[in-house]
Amino acid sequence: MDTLFKKPKKQIFAIFSFLFLSLIFSTNNAFAADGEKIFKQNCAVCHSLGSNKITGPGLAGVFTRVPSEQWMHSWIKNNDKMIKSGDAYAVQISKFDASQMTIFESTLSDDDITAVMKFIKEYKPKVEGPVVADTGNTGTPKEEGVNPLAILIGVIAFLIVIVAVLRGVRHSLKNLQNEKMGLPEEEAIGPWTELKQWISSHKRTTTVIILIITGGLLTSAWYGLKGIGVYADPDQKMEYHPEQPIAFSHKIHAGDNAINCQYCHSGVERSKTAGIPSVNVCMNCHKGISKGKLPGGTEEIAKIYAAAGWDPEKGEYNKPQSPIKWVKVHNLQDFVFFSHQQHVKVGKQECATCHGDVKTMTTVAQVKPLTMGWCIDCHKKTEVPGMKDNPYYESLHKKLAEKYKGQPITVDKMGGIDCVRCHY
Amino acid sequence: MATKKYWKGLEELNNNPEFVQKANSEFAEQLPVEKFLEDKSLENDGTNRRDFLKFLGFSVTAASLAACETPVNKAIPYVVKPEEITPGVANWYASTYFDGNDYASIIVKTREGRPIKIEGNDLSGITKGGTNARVQASVLSLYDSSRLSAPMANGNLTTWATADKEIGNKLAAIAAKGGAIRILSSTIISPSTKAVIAEFAAKYPTTKLVTYDAVSFSGMVKANAQSFGQEVIPSYNFDKAEIIVSIGADFLANWLSPIETAGQYAKTRKVGKNKKSMSRHYQFESNLSLTGANADYREPVKVSEHGKVAVNLYNAVAKIVGGSSLSSSALACDNTIAKAAKDLADNKGKSLVVSGSNDMYVQLVVNGINQMLDNYGKTIDIENPNYTRQGDDAAFADLVAEMASGKVDALITYNTNPVYTAPAALKFADAYNKVGLRISLADRADETASMAHYICPDHNYLESWNDFNPKKAHYSLSQPTISPLFSTRQAQETLLKWSGNNSDYHSYIQKNWMERVFPMQGKHMIFNDFWNHSLHDGAIEVGKGGDMEMNGMADSVKAAPLAVKAEKKKEEPKEEAKPVAKVDLGEAAAKIAAVKGASEPSFELALYEKVGIGNGNQANNPWLQELPDPITKITWDNYVTMSPLDMEGKYDLMERQDREASVVNVTVNGTTVKLPVVPQPGQARGTIGIAVGYGRDKAGNLSMRTGSVIGQNAYPFIQLMNGSMMYGALDAKVESANETVEMAGTQVHHTLMGRDIVKETVLTEYQKDAKAGNADEMLVTHSGKVKMSEVDLWDSFDRPGHKWGMTVDLNSCIGCGSCVVSCTAENNVAVVGKTQVMKTREMHWLRIDRYYTTKWPNEGKKAKEKAHEEGVGAIDMYLDMENPDALNPKVVFQPMLCQHCNHAPCENVCPVLATNHSSDGLNQMTYNRCVGTRYCANNCPYKVRRFNWFNYNANPDFTFNPTQDDLGRMVLNPDVVVRSRGVMEKCSMCVQRIQGGKLEAKKAERKLKDGEIKTACQQSCPTNAIIFGDLNDEESAVAVLRKEDERNFYVLEEVGTKPTLSYLTKVRNCEEAEFHNEHEAVKEEKAGA
Repeated sequence: MDTLFKKPKKQIFAIFSFLFLSLIFSTNNAFAADGEKIFKQNCAVCHSLGSNKITGPGLAGVFTRVPSEQWMHSWIKNNDKMIKSGDAYAVQISKFDASQMTIFESTLSDDDITAVMKFIKEYKPKVEGPVVADTGNTGTPKEEGVNPLAILIGVIAFLIVIVAVLRGVRHSLKNLQNEKMGLPEEEAIGPWTELKQWISSHKRTTTVIILIITGGLLTSAWYGLKGIGVYADPDQKMEYHPEQPIAFSHKIHAGDNAINCQYCHSGVERSKTAGIPSVNVCMNCHKGISKGKLPGGTEEIAKIYAAAGWDPEKGEYNKPQSPIKWVKVHNLQDFVFFSHQQHVKVGKQECATCHGDVKTMTTVAQVKPLTMGWCIDCHKKTEVPGMKDNPYYESLHKKLAEKYKGQPITVDKMGGIDCVRCHY
Repeated sequence: MATKKYWKGLEELNNNPEFVQKANSEFAEQLPVEKFLEDKSLENDGTNRRDFLKFLGFSVTAASLAACETPVNKAIPYVVKPEEITPGVANWYASTYFDGNDYASIIVKTREGRPIKIEGNDLSGITKGGTNARVQASVLSLYDSSRLSAPMANGNLTTWATADKEIGNKLAAIAAKGGAIRILSSTIISPSTKAVIAEFAAKYPTTKLVTYDAVSFSGMVKANAQSFGQEVIPSYNFDKAEIIVSIGADFLANWLSPIETAGQYAKTRKVGKNKKSMSRHYQFESNLSLTGANADYREPVKVSEHGKVAVNLYNAVAKIVGGSSLSSSALACDNTIAKAAKDLADNKGKSLVVSGSNDMYVQLVVNGINQMLDNYGKTIDIENPNYTRQGDDAAFADLVAEMASGKVDALITYNTNPVYTAPAALKFADAYNKVGLRISLADRADETASMAHYICPDHNYLESWNDFNPKKAHYSLSQPTISPLFSTRQAQETLLKWSGNNSDYHSYIQKNWMERVFPMQGKHMIFNDFWNHSLHDGAIEVGKGGDMEMNGMADSVKAAPLAVKAEKKKEEPKEEAKPVAKVDLGEAAAKIAAVKGASEPSFELALYEKVGIGNGNQANNPWLQELPDPITKITWDNYVTMSPLDMEGKYDLMERQDREASVVNVTVNGTTVKLPVVPQPGQARGTIGIAVGYGRDKAGNLSMRTGSVIGQNAYPFIQLMNGSMMYGALDAKVESANETVEMAGTQVHHTLMGRDIVKETVLTEYQKDAKAGNADEMLVTHSGKVKMSEVDLWDSFDRPGHKWGMTVDLNSCIGCGSCVVSCTAENNVAVVGKTQVMKTREMHWLRIDRYYTTKWPNEGKKAKEKAHEEGVGAIDMYLDMENPDALNPKVVFQPMLCQHCNHAPCENVCPVLATNHSSDGLNQMTYNRCVGTRYCANNCPYKVRRFNWFNYNANPDFTFNPTQDDLGRMVLNPDVVVRSRGVMEKCSMCVQRIQGGKLEAKKAERKLKDGEIKTACQQSCPTNAIIFGDLNDEESAVAVLRKEDERNFYVLEEVGTKPTLSYLTKVRNCEEAEFHNEHEAVKEEKAGA
């Protein structure tokens, strides 16, 4: 399934080599790269490099619009001053939007501003499409609306038709031949009878075929049972990875862009649920990032816009909103109370302990069984890292240390496997 | 060889060929196969039997295959998440509950934007964190699907725009011709609402406001007007009273400000290591009320005698403190009156006499007593009046007369339901029909609204903005905690709109507060600060003595045109409240003496409010219907209470766990109501009691879902006497209807049956020995008698972390049931309905056991000795024990919930380990493991386990359960599992709160503070009778109590269950002799009667 980015190492290598080569061969680029960094940190939230409006106007061709580069420089530095000084163009564009542009006088030096301006000026939109050397991507975007099973059935049906036609042709040819040779006409036998004849004459082959079919059926039954949770091997990955309404890739966000899990799952230290980010959280970044690097990415981002009611052309929320119906991957039964804040904030557990290495997952899969046995197993093995320094546990820890001399104080020793910890 | 031959008929005997042929074929005649096949219509039928079977087989297989898929759960986040909401974390908002009757400052717990629980607001200077059952249940009333979804015009749903336009035109037409417009409302304590009405009156100058309360205090207001020249109801300081005498005032459950009073009262009743005194409480009443059940001395008196008790008490006090006496007649309870008078006189300025009568003359005499006792300014604060009861009976009667004569052109009813609550004598419904334009602002098509032309539904209070001024200098706010569920509109906004003011009520209140409340306080310099603080705290107290009081009663009760009145008010300097006026009480005494009681066989009727249903506002609330009455323990009904002595020989006494009650017809002045009659020990002889608030056929869908209207309406029985409403009748005929009906009571045993489940003592003994009445349980062992607490068959358990414990002070518990509803709301407890309650299948995790005392000694051994002496057999002794003293039993309440035994009998009989012990001392119940053997319930000595006999969440027989309603489900606490059929459940000690509280401490990296975690029952208790905490924390309140309070005892300690819950002995402030020997006296009296 996870065909996108099968080779992360290769990708990283590719990026590094690209950057390295760029560094060597273009001194000018170093300057621009600096500008790019500054742009991303300070400007990208409000300005796109294209022509679309985010909060501020798009910057494509900006230097053809502004009076002069010097004007641009002072504008970036302190637009307020420019407006107040009565500069005609400044006053004119101050009416662009009610929100005022940030004053960068104290944060950006003159050199920085120059670098940014240079970056903007020299920016050329990248060519769309898969760039193999750049990303190491070997996958193709999934086609929508065509079920692979349907294709398979179609192919089989097609083959059957061909076989039937060929049989007819063969029969006619044989008869023709027989006729020529003066032999009596071959009796037209039905396909079923022929099959039976074939089977009786090829018993060994038939056995093998039957064995293969039976094996296939059994295997699929096995996976089917596993799919409904009849059997769960804690050591084996469950790999429940439903298709999501938006092909959101944790690999791109948490992996490549190294966005902290808590930026989106902000409830994890405050609530029992980590929370799925609301669309407005997506929009924090995607207001500016409207183009996906990967094929199909732009379309997926458009789905966020559709949910948020955002019009990327006009740069405003003017369409009806509709929530995104994500498919829940990690399901706990209703009679289990699980608290993320207890595990992450107090118990100082890594997200990956239960969710696996999400940073490498394009489609999130459930990698741990999430069964009670699995929970208890962990509670029996895990010492709580946060316990020693937390005054809440002080007296308990002292008493337990005395009671279990030398043994590690695991969660279960603190009552962590009491029924009411999770069931109430 | 058989020689005999048997044959069926001659044919067989003769054995002719035809017969033989026939006998060999299976059917006597040819099957009509051909005829069947000839039927051409069958050929057209595409499906034959085989096809059918194929399809059946396929569909069954397909269905089961389809079911074998991992369920796909969707997770749908917000599109734009409101900043203040974190899914999974509760938000709390301060608000206020006032329904024209109960006032409570509350905080509302919301989860993901929906209110799920009401808690008391500790910051309130009035209710101080207490609530009652009705306030607790009000959150469910928000999710009542009987509420109107849009305005209605002449019985059809319409839009606000249409309704506004039509009503606007009609009102304008009425105003143009100078027709009378009346607004009829229950008490309004919202200053801004009053301003809104004034604005409305300015636009339509013929408008008058009439305030009418279903249960009115207008007699008291009139009496105070006479005594002090002020039409007010004072604030009462029960906490400053050493002696409390109540004549028919049920001040712990219903009278005036019950939540506040209960808190104050309990303060005087608590005893402990450093406080060995308590107040003494005398109660004179007809029905056994909740307050009477808590009294030290209680005298059952007839309804007609209430005034006479007041007069005799006046005389008795006057005799001691020196004063002229009034003309009086002797009463049976004069001894107690004399005793009370002596106590009162000994505690001048520290005593309090209150009366529940709505008769001005009785209240005048009571005022006289309090004045003699110098209680004004001390226990009675007339300078800080209570504004929560402003109803004016006379004005209401005038209005009805005006309506009947056709002089009223438009009537707007707000938060009142007079068609249901008005006395029969007023014939309100007829008069109402004569009003040209009838507009109701009710949230549902209730009895009154359904007769109106327009219903413009108001928001529920949890969806509204409002402000409140319950007492002078006390202000509070309510704020919306959820977006309106329906297309309803705040009544104030509706009135504003009709007045031509389009501002929203929120900014209207703000403006009003900026102009009027803000200047009264000196704490905040900026209005926004003040507003935000007030909103955050919910309730504020402004500086006293300011003359900016904007909610004086005078401008509402008199039904004067408001606009004019408001202007006038500004000019008048406010009079100082000086409780000095002397009123001639002679007339009052004469009027009281003239009251003639009923003569046999008639009864005197006393109407009362139940702690659950109250005045009937929330009759559609299943939580309140299922809440057992604290005294009778009966649910889902109202009934006639009668003294068992009056019932003997005539009606079913419901003895020996009998649920069948006789049905009687009660007739007063031509109004007849058919109700079951229930024996009520302590009911005054010759009187009956009926609860109001029942029999609401248009309260909503609950009656439809339960199959019948719940109870009967007793409001029509209200009589008009001396210009105010009398909540009773002096001549009620009771006739048997020759039927019986089953009652759904939750407690079929009445007394303790000689067991030591509840321990009690008297104050004098307690002062001598703190362990009085609480002797240690001793166990005989081979080494002599040993304290039970020191004997243990098993090893004790190690509780290294927390060790949760709860102690219930039986001296503070008044039995009000607030905790029961609170527990229901917190723990998603199912409502099971009347038929299941009859089968003892109620699901309440927490019940309040009510025990009467019996004529048998409380200690089992003594009872046996006595039985032996008197030659009574064991069976008869126990049967006798079951019957309480009919005349005037003492009552004790005991909240009973899972005792979380350390050696729990339930645990070791569970075959699947579904119930066992946690490391912090909780008896944990794991629902998903339970297979429903019910062994645990059978083995529980406290009978606190509850079994889900049905799937109350889906079974069509239980549609009244909130979980079966799409709206009702929203009230569920998402942190607690909704249990299904076949599962045992019980008190979890609010483990979700414990876990939540612990987590907060862990996250903040600090120790858990005592009092930080409060169980639902503890939080809602208005008297702080429940103390919960960590026993391992030596400084926690509960640990200190266990160590220091000698009253601490464990229920059934002798069986060795080592409960985690303990109780504190109940102390009564009566004489030892009365405590011990009253039974004999009762017996004599009974013989005499």
